[in-house]
This record gives sequence, C-alpha cells and structure tokens, in this order.
Amino acid sequence: MTLVTLAIATGFALVLIGLLGALTDRNILRMIVAFTIANTGVNLVLIGVGMLPGRTAPILDEAVSVAQAAARIVDPVPQALVLTAIVIGLGVTALMLAYALRLHQTRHSLDIRTFTELKW
Amino acid sequence: MVSAIFILAIGLGAAFLLGLLRDTWRGLAYALTLAALAAMSWIAGSWLVALAGGLGPVEIRTAGFAPPFAIALRMGLPEAALSLLISLTGLLSAVYMRGTLMRLGRRAMAVLLIAVMALVGIVLTRDAFNLFVFLELTVIATGGLVLLSADPRALGAGFKYLVVAQVISILLLVGVIFAYHATGSLNIDDMAAANLVTLKGGAIAFFLMFVAVVAELKPFPANGWALDIYESAHPAFSAILSAALSAAALIAADKMLSIGGPEWLPVASSLGLVSFLGANILALAQDNDRRLLGYSSIGQVGLVLVVLGQRDILGASTPFIAGGLLLAHAVAKAGFYWLSGLVQGRSLMDWTALRGHPVLIFAFVTFVALLLGLPPFPGFYAKWGLVHALAADGRYLVLGLILLGSLIESGYLMRWFGYIIKRPQVDLPPLPSLSKRAVVLTAVAAGWALGWIWGEISGYPNLLLSIPLLFALGFLFIEWLPAWVKNLVAIAGLGAWFWYTFPGYDPLHLIYAAIILVGGAVILVASFDAKGRRVGFYPPAMLMYAGLSMLILAQDSFAFFAAWEYLTIGSYFLILRGKKSEPHALSYILFSLGGAFAILAGLALGAQGVLPFDVADLAKAPARLAPWIFALLAIGFMTKTAAIGLHIWLPGAHAEAETDVSPMVSGILLKAGLFGLTLLLMIMGKQSLYGIELTYVMLWIGALSALVGNLLAAFQEDAKRLLAYSSIGQMGYALFGLAMMNHLGWLMALMFVINHYIYKSMLFLSVGGVAKRTGTRDMYRMGGLITLMPLSFIAVLIGIIAVSGVPPLSGFGGRWIFYNAIMSSEYRLPMVLIFLSGPIAFLYLFRLIHTIFLGQLKDEHRKLKEAPLWLILPQMLYVAFLLGFAVVPGLALRHVDAYISEFFPAHALIWDDITITSTFGYWSPISIMVVVGCIFAVLFLWLLVLNHRAQKVKQFNIVYSAERPFRPETTHFAWNFFAPYRKALGFMTLPLVTRFWQAQTDLLHSTAQVSRRFYTGNGQTYAVHMLAFAVAVYLIWMGS
Amino acid sequence: MPFEWVQIPYALLTLFIVVNYGLVLTALIQKIGARVGRRHGIRIYQNYVDLLKNYALRTHITHGVMFYLGPVFRLTGGVGLLLFVPTIFGSEMFSNLSFAGDLILALYFVFFGSLGMALGAGESGHPYSAIGVTRGLSQVTAAELPLALAVFAVSLQYETLSITEIVAAQQGGVTNWTLFTNPLAVAAAMLSFLGSMMRPPFDVVLAPQEIPIGPPTEYHSAYLALMQTNRVIFPVAKVVIYMNLFFGGATGWGEFAVKVFCIYMVSVLVGVVFPRFRVEQSIRWFLVWAVPIGVLSIVIA
Repeated sequence: MTLVTLAIATGFALVLIGLLGALTDRNILRMIVAFTIANTGVNLVLIGVGMLPGRTAPILDEAVSVAQAAARIVDPVPQALVLTAIVIGLGVTALMLAYALRLHQTRHSLDIRTFTELKW
Repeated sequence: MVSAIFILAIGLGAAFLLGLLRDTWRGLAYALTLAALAAMSWIAGSWLVALAGGLGPVEIRTAGFAPPFAIALRMGLPEAALSLLISLTGLLSAVYMRGTLMRLGRRAMAVLLIAVMALVGIVLTRDAFNLFVFLELTVIATGGLVLLSADPRALGAGFKYLVVAQVISILLLVGVIFAYHATGSLNIDDMAAANLVTLKGGAIAFFLMFVAVVAELKPFPANGWALDIYESAHPAFSAILSAALSAAALIAADKMLSIGGPEWLPVASSLGLVSFLGANILALAQDNDRRLLGYSSIGQVGLVLVVLGQRDILGASTPFIAGGLLLAHAVAKAGFYWLSGLVQGRSLMDWTALRGHPVLIFAFVTFVALLLGLPPFPGFYAKWGLVHALAADGRYLVLGLILLGSLIESGYLMRWFGYIIKRPQVDLPPLPSLSKRAVVLTAVAAGWALGWIWGEISGYPNLLLSIPLLFALGFLFIEWLPAWVKNLVAIAGLGAWFWYTFPGYDPLHLIYAAIILVGGAVILVASFDAKGRRVGFYPPAMLMYAGLSMLILAQDSFAFFAAWEYLTIGSYFLILRGKKSEPHALSYILFSLGGAFAILAGLALGAQGVLPFDVADLAKAPARLAPWIFALLAIGFMTKTAAIGLHIWLPGAHAEAETDVSPMVSGILLKAGLFGLTLLLMIMGKQSLYGIELTYVMLWIGALSALVGNLLAAFQEDAKRLLAYSSIGQMGYALFGLAMMNHLGWLMALMFVINHYIYKSMLFLSVGGVAKRTGTRDMYRMGGLITLMPLSFIAVLIGIIAVSGVPPLSGFGGRWIFYNAIMSSEYRLPMVLIFLSGPIAFLYLFRLIHTIFLGQLKDEHRKLKEAPLWLILPQMLYVAFLLGFAVVPGLALRHVDAYISEFFPAHALIWDDITITSTFGYWSPISIMVVVGCIFAVLFLWLLVLNHRAQKVKQFNIVYSAERPFRPETTHFAWNFFAPYRKALGFMTLPLVTRFWQAQTDLLHSTAQVSRRFYTGNGQTYAVHMLAFAVAVYLIWMGS
Repeated sequence: MPFEWVQIPYALLTLFIVVNYGLVLTALIQKIGARVGRRHGIRIYQNYVDLLKNYALRTHITHGVMFYLGPVFRLTGGVGLLLFVPTIFGSEMFSNLSFAGDLILALYFVFFGSLGMALGAGESGHPYSAIGVTRGLSQVTAAELPLALAVFAVSLQYETLSITEIVAAQQGGVTNWTLFTNPLAVAAAMLSFLGSMMRPPFDVVLAPQEIPIGPPTEYHSAYLALMQTNRVIFPVAKVVIYMNLFFGGATGWGEFAVKVFCIYMVSVLVGVVFPRFRVEQSIRWFLVWAVPIGVLSIVIA
C-alpha cells in the first residue's frame, strides 16, 4: 500500500467515523467534534489526491527553482484548496459552537432531540 | 461598463468596511449597507440591459490568468438576471428589515452583505471549488441571518441547517477533488469539455458534486431542515432564502448538468418531479403560513429543475421557460414572505387580517397568480412553452405529473385565498409599516413588469396589452368611485366593444358575442341596485367579460387559452364574493383549472410543437393523437358546462353567488364551455377511441346530465340551487344537441344558448330579488308573494313556461327542433334519458313558482315590497325579448341555420314567411301565438261576463275539513314537495359523484397528513435523510 | 296550408261536435263504470244539466288573478289541443287549425292547460291542490315516457312529424294501422294512455278519498263549469291523437265516434278492475313495464 492510498483510505475512514459520530451521538458538542473529524478526513483525502510520490512541497525557494518546479513539486492546487477548506471548516465549526452555546443558554440542553419543536 | 466582479467586490468590501465603523453609528452602517446593495443591483442591472441589448456573454478572469490557473467568472444574460434578482431581493429585504438591522447593528448588516455577495458569487463563478467556497459562505451567512428572527425556535432550526450543510459540504468537497483529479482542472467548462462522467472515477466524482448541489435546492423529501428555517426565520430572510438562494442553487445545478451531460438530465427531471409533487401534496396539510410557503418554494424549485432536466427537448427556449418559472416564483415568494411579515399571526386564518386592505389583497392575488402561472404573468408563458415541448416529444408522464402538481398547488393557494376573503376576521390588523408595505408593492410591480417583459419576448402579442384586459384592469384604478359610475363605465365598455368588433363576427360567433357583450350589459343593469363603492366587484367581473370576449375572437391556441384562463379567474373572484361561497368557489376554481389543464394538454398535443398554432388546424392533427386531443379538450370544456361527473361545483357556486352575479355566471359564463365544444366539434368532427365514438359518449353524458340535473333540481329546497341544478340539465340538453352532430342538433344547441341565457338570467334575477326581500332562499319559507311582487311573478311565470317548452313561448321552438333533430340522428338509446328528463323539468318549475308565489303568504312577509327596480328592469326586458323571440325566432335563428348548413348541409330548415318547415314537420310560431291568444282571450272574456263581480277573499277562506287554518306555516304545502317522487326515484340522487371527488381529496390529504410525520424535527434524522437521498439519487442514476 | 277565415267557423263546428260528443261519452262511461259496480249510474244527459247549472251559478269569490285565470288556461289547453290536431282525415273542413304546428305542438300543448290550472289552484292556497299537483306531476314524468318513446318510434316509422301524413300512411286497410305495423309502440303508448286518463289505478291525482278532488278543490260555479267543459273536451282531444297515430285516424264522424269510444274504453276496462296505485308505485310500474316496451320499439324502429 502506497502512502497515497493509505492517506486517502485513512481520510475516508475518518470521514465515515465522523459522519457516524455526527449521526448517532445525541450531544451536539460531540456532533460538532465528529464533524471536525470528518472534515479532517476530507482534507486528508484532498491532500492524498494531490500527492505525487517522491516530490517535494510546492514552495519555490532555494531548494526548488522555478525551472525545476514542474518536475519536482507536487500539484499545488489541492494544497491551496485544503488551506481554504480548513479555513471554511473553522468558520463553520465556530458558528456551530456559537449555536451550541446559545442553545445551551436558552434551552439548557445539548441534546439534539430536544430541538424538535419545529416539525411536520 | 463596470466589471461584474465589482458586484462581489462591493459586497465584500462594504462588509469589511462595516467592521471598521463604530458600533454606535448604526444609521451610517445601515446607509452603507443599502448603498452597497443598491450599487450591486445597479451593476447587475446595467449588465442585464447591455446583455439584453445583444452583448454576448463576458468571461471574467481573476488574477489575469486563464482557467485552470485562476478562477473564471462569467456574466451572461441568465447570470445578469439572477444577479439582479439576488441583489434586489437583498436590497429590498434590507429595507424591510430596517428595524431588526438597526437593533442588531453592523455585524448583522455585514452578514447580510456577505450572504448576497456569496449568492451572486454562486451565480457568476465557473469554478467548481469556488462554487464550494461560495456555497459555504452562504451556509455561514445563513447560519448568521437565521438568528435575526425574533422566533426562539429559529436557533434549533439554524443548527439543524448547519448539521445538514456539513454533510453536503463533505460530499461536495470530495466530489470536487476527484473531479479535479480526473480532469486536471477546476473549471466547470473544462470539466464539461473533458467529459468528466466518462473518465475513470469521474462519474462518481460528478455524482457527489451533483448530489451536493441538488441538495442545496432543498429537494423533497430531504429538506426538513429547510422547512424549519422557512418557518422560523425572519420573513425578509426567508424571502432571500426562497427567492435568491433558490435561484443561485438552480443555476449551480444547471452548471452541474452542463458537466453531467444528457445522461443526467432524466435524473434531474425525476428529482424535480418528486419534489414538485411531493412538496405540493404535503403543503395541503399545512396550517402555518411560512411553512406552507416553504413547501411551495420547494415545489416550484423542483419544477424549474424539471425544466432544466428537459433541456434536451427545450433547447434554446430553456432560459425563457426556466427563467419565467424561476423569476415568477422568486418574485411571488419573496413578496409572500414580505407580506407574511405584515401579518401578525402565523396560522393561515390570521391572514384574514388583510381583508379591508384592498391593496394588500391585490398583492396577494398577484403573488398567487404569479405562482400558479396564470396569464399575463411569466409562468403562463413558461408553462405554455414547457407543455408544448413535452407534448410534442411524447413525454406524457412528465406532462401529466406537472399538471397534477400544479393543480394541487392551486388547491392550497386558492383555498388560502378563500380563507382570507371569507373566514371570520381575526383581531390582529396588519402592521402599519409603510416601508414594509412599499417593499411588498415593489414585488407586485416587479411581478407585473415581468409579465410585460415575458409578453414582449414571448413572440406572441403581449397579453398585457390587449384592450379588454386593460379595460378590466383599469377598474382597479377607479375603485374609489361609487358603484353606479363604474357600472355605467362597464356597460359602456361592453357596448363599445360589441360595436367595435361587430363587423368581424359570423352568425355563430355573433350569437355568442351578443350574449356576452349585450347580454352582459343587460345583466349589469341589475348591478345598479348595489349601493356604495362595491370594491372588488368590477375588476373581476370585467376580467371575466374580457376573457369571454377575447375567447370568441381568438384565432390561435395561445390567445384562446389565455382568454380561457382570464374568464376562469375573473369568474372565480366573482363567485367568491357570495356570502357563503368559499367552499363552492374553491371547488369551482379547482374543477376549472383542472379543465383548463386538460385543454392546455389537448392544445399542446394538437400543436405538436408548431407555434403559434391556429385552433382550426386541430383538424389536421395526426390520426393517432386526434381522439386523445378531442377527449382532452372535450373534458376541459365539459368542466365548464358542468357535465355530469364534473358538475359538483356548479350548484353551490351559482346558488351562493350574489344576486347579479348568478345570472352572469349561469347565463353567460356557461356558454364559454358550449362555445368551446362548438368549436371543437366543428373543427375535429367525430372521433373514435378504441372503437368507441366519442361524440356518442358525449351524447350519453349530455343525456345523463339532463336527467340528473333536472332530477336534483326537483328535490332542492333552495330556490337558487334549484335554478343551478336546472342549469346542469339545460347544459346537458345543449351538449346533447351538439353531440348529435347534425344540422338540427346544432341549431337546437344554439337555440338553447340563447334561450338559456334569457330565462336563466331572468329567473336568477327574480329569485334573487325575492330572496333579497324575504331574507331567505328556502322556498318553503316563502309563499303567496304573487300579490306583493307581481312583476317578479310575471318574470318567473314567463320564465318557467319558456324553460318547460310549453307552447307558445320560445322554449317550444327548442323542443320542436330537438324532435326534428333526433329524427335525423342515427342514435336512439340516449334519447330515452332525454325523454325522461323532459317532464321532470315540470316538477322543479312548478315547485319554483308555486312555493314562492302561490300558496299561503307568511305573516312576516305581509309588508314586503316588490323587488328593487333595478332588478325588475332587466327582467322586463327579458320578458319582452322572450315574447318577441317566441313569435319571430327566425330573426336570429335563420342566419345561424344558414351558417350551419356550411357544415351540415342536410336537413336545413325552410323559413317561409310565417311557417318553418323541416324535412319532417312544420311549425308556425306566429299562428300558435295567435290561436292560443285568441282562444285564451275569448274564454277569459266569457268568464269575465259570468264572474265579473268576483272579489278577492281573505287568505284562509278555503274549505279545509270544516276547519279554518290560521297559520300559513301549516297550510303552505312546500317542504319536501315531491316526497313520493323521492321514494320512487330518490336512489338516482345519491351523491355518488360528490363522494368520488371527496374520496380523491381525502386521499390526498391523508397522504399529506401521514407523510409529514416523516419530518420528525430531529436534525440528525434530517442528516440521515440527506444521505439516504444521496443513495436514492445513485440508484436512480444507475437505473436510468 | 295557408290560413283562411272560413277555417274559424269550421273549427268552431268541430268544437261544438266534440263538446256534445264528449258530454254524452263521459256520461256513458260513468254509467258503464257504475253498472260494473252494480249501481244504476247517472242519466245520460246528466252532464248537460250539471254544466248548465254551474254556468248559471254566480260567485263573488276569487283568490287572486292566477286563481281566476286557472280555468281559462285549462280550457284553452283543451280547446287548443283539439284544434291543433286534424280531427277527420281527408276533410279540409275538419282539419281545424293544424297549420300552426305538427305532432310536437300537440304533445307539448297538452301541458299548457295543466300548468295553468295548477298555477290557479295553487293560488287558492289550499294544500290539497298543491298535493294533487305534485302527485300529478310526479306521475306524469313516468307515464309520459312510454308515449314519448312510442311517438318517436312512430314518427321514425313514417319519417314524418305531420299528423296528417301519419294518418295518410295508415290508410288502405286495417292492417296498415300502426297497431299492426308497429305493435310494440302501440303497446307502450296504450300503457301510457292508462296513466293519463285519471282512472284507476292511476287516479291518485284526484284521489277522492284523501284530497277530495285534488287540484280543483277550491273551484266552484262558473270556474268549475269551464273546467268541466274541459273535462269533456280534453280526453277526446287526447284520444284523437292516439287514434290518429295508432289506429288509422277517422275519415268520418261515425268512425270517429266509434274509435274514440273504443280507445277510451281501454282505460275504463282497466280502471274498473284495478285498485289505485300510490304515486311511487305507479312510477315504478311505468318504468318497469311500459318503458322497456317503448325502448324496444325505438330500438327496432
């Protein structure tokens, strides 16, 4: 098993674990944590997909000159994407936590099952 | 021109700038927000103008690189239109939320700006990952904006939304990266060009992206989270969610479909159809206004998705159709949500607060019409095009389901409107806020403007610009005038239009034109009786007349159908005005719209994609389809004539209508159906389906209608219901005459058209006058009114003689032609029913005149006066006309007779000076009148000679078992008048048809009630729904 | 057939003959009925006496305009019906005023008098009148149906609606009568005939026991006289239609008298044997027994 496959497999495993947690755990804080795990998994998959074995990070400095770049570095796009995804994931997580806080303040509960007054 | 990227830049920049302001400078922050949104709108608007002016789509490359190295945006016509829609919705919502935003400060304003910016970004971007980013920004902004709501439940709803959004974002991100891996580009056009779905792993990558984007459309049934937000969020935000987010998500889905190629189109169609039908069915069971609107949103978005999925046959017209539906939906739904912010209660009944606010009612009506795709709004053009394309390509299932869904949708929207107009008014007046009302009215104006635009680009004459419609709409602006002035204008308008169009009619059309325009004017004379301003009467009445008069002038199918819709809507509003007419008006509009859909489908099948389509070209329909077209159109028209099986709306609708409305909808409106049938039979002739001749079926339907209509009329206690059922019978006769497909059958039908107009209008007016005076419509509560209301009595007397067909009045002419017609008909058996129903007419007619005018006068009626002059006046005109028509029927009929000879040359009548001769018999109206008149006069004089000193005795001066009754109630034999007859034939009056339709609606409602339990309210369940939805899409994709 | 003034006296002559014939005929029928019941019955000229007496009586009572006009309507109906139908075949003199209309006119004019009289009786305010009318109307819907079907069958058979032509087609021997050329139609029509002659078992309309005499309850003196006049003309006029349609018509007054008497007697023979039906019973009876025959006749025709 190559490193790439391992990374992608681990990523998907994290996604599944995260989703399983988010869908089965009733506590909304733990749900949020589960989603961060899933997000991490997705990020891992992103990296894994962009990974080319034996190449270096896409940073042009003394080690890698512009002329060699195309042959030496891994695909930089997924890495850029991962950065963005992490930022966005952070934003969403923060928002969810803020919600959790407000929910706890107003309803004194963190159980997702208690917020079902809107239905049908 | 300013680059489109500035729309995004301004939004983003202003949001940052807001962060720099001091929190106390709220006025400035708000002004900045509005300015930013206005600038964004202005840029989008200027692009829209330029692009509509012929400019090609413009690619915008950020950072100066071509894709895949940088993000590309595209500004084309659809993008410009939707950007404008989104930023305007944002702007208006910001105006609407002034109070909330000022209270919460600059952060809330910044989030609003980000939301609008992100939505425009979704529209503009051509980059898959960028799409993801903007979607996530939307999620975050939505999560923030949900909190604007004063409703504490919004908190839970927002969290559920975030949970589901996380699941969606995981799917999308994984999809995007694998798509990138497969194609080496993030650009959507590159992915499409590389044919992503054929690459290794590309199909699954596309599947993930597609599911994620479609999930943003809140597809039924994976949409519980969205409904909760719709229900609990601030209405102005719900407006953004419904109008702007839906639009953005749809264009995103469209982008995905451009990658997915043709194999994904059926998947999109199926998902759209499920959403459209499912959401509309579930909306039936809702009583929370915003949740109902949410369901409706989901349904509408589903419909647009269907359109996107049908792009393989719609081709270049896709933007026109999808755009029409989407913009109509967006404007209407935003308007609805803004309006809901003015209403203080959340139950549908709380909207009764709008009553007494004509402008708000008008707004509501506009939004409903926009949603339902009624003319002259864009949805009408769009549905027209969509249905024609589907029919031309043979996609009947899609077509049928779309029409079914639309019907269900009109069911709950119209029901809601009925509540507003008729249910007891709640004590929560609408908020007085002027700015909020201004926002709502802006949406109204936008709706009408869109109607005008769609009319201009449709390729048809603009529906909004037809003179009759403008005339009708003009009454909206003179609503403040007293009723009698408006009445004068209305009568003058009808007369002038008749004068203006008169030269263009052939004899057949002239009859209908005279009934609609001249006849309509005569009935309007009775409307002088109304006092005050009578707000809400003239616009719909004139809309109905406009539709009717356009119907008989229509040449192509589009004009015909538009006119049909006008008259349906106008009459619906008219009928709804009656005191207790709410349920009846609803069943009327549902049957009518169902019938209209049948007509639409029939016309579309006939046109086979050729547009504009001359109605007369139905004759050239391919033999394979012709009988189906015939059947669909016939069903549509028979809905209007209330043929048996489709008749249950009529009695209530006609009986509960106002005094002068009943004759309009009975005497005139029913003729629209007959006109349609006349045209249909004239153009398409006889058709056979599976070896059964359809005209023969119609013959049976007509005969059954005549029988059942008459029979039920005989058992009514309510005078107006009696007349209404009698109309069913009369229309049955007319249908029967037309379906005979011979010369005299048609002549008879046309004679019925004239006669029915006269005597039914007259009878409805006289009975209406009596009901007005006595305060009841129950005949057994009346009695002995002959001396108090002699003129009404004379009208009813002449009316019933004419209806019954007893010589010497004109009804006999109809019977005589009928007998001659059946002599030349090849069918025998249906006649049996007609023969049976003939004498039954005597039952209800005698009952009508006896129990009202004869028998014993009630104590409480002793001081009644004759009906109001304005009601009597038209009746006397009718009496004079009936007598005249009885003597010289040839004045009208011989021209029609000659005209019909063009189609059925055999068995024409011979019109000698006073005798009319047919192949079989003869008839001399003048001789009959003279003979009967002379005999009557001689005998009368003789009796006068014998009994000239007779004096009227008191009421109870009768021989009564040696007793004298003193109570009229016990002596007036009236209630359950035909009890023995009920014993004998009552089994034929079982409400089987009503039960059948009731069962259908009950079934739908119980389905809705049961399925809504699916939305448990648990955020995790909703997330599971989402995953299950993804699996279902996968299975559909595999299956297709 | 153009109108000439001389037709008026001719028509009046027909009317005169028929009134007298009717007066005698109805008395005779009543007598026959009485004899079947082992009673002696009225004298053959009794109707003249009654009629003259009633015409001679004066009244000061009316219940209103329609009440007053009711008998006028009634008698107009009878006289009109008689005069719209040619009485004697081949006779210019006794073709009456049939130029005004054909068979359909006659069939529909039947209702003219009934309707007017019902309205007049209604204004009297007497419940018996109204009850009688409802019974009559109810019964007529079912009773008329076989006749309508038979008439349709016959007019299909002869391809005309002109009574004169229908009679002409039956000339030249008894076997040419519709009775033999179209027995089903005649059977249906004759069953219907039973229902329209106000005799048992279909006389619930006048039901002497329950609602004294039904619709005319409140009518007296000259009003009643007019109605009695109608009661001698109307059945004859009606029988004349049957005679013309089904039994070859009449070429002379002798034949007329015999045929009318015989046809009338059909209802009498049935009437003296059977007890009275209630309304719903008679409706069912017509629908079950008479209508199918009528339907058969038009299907075969």
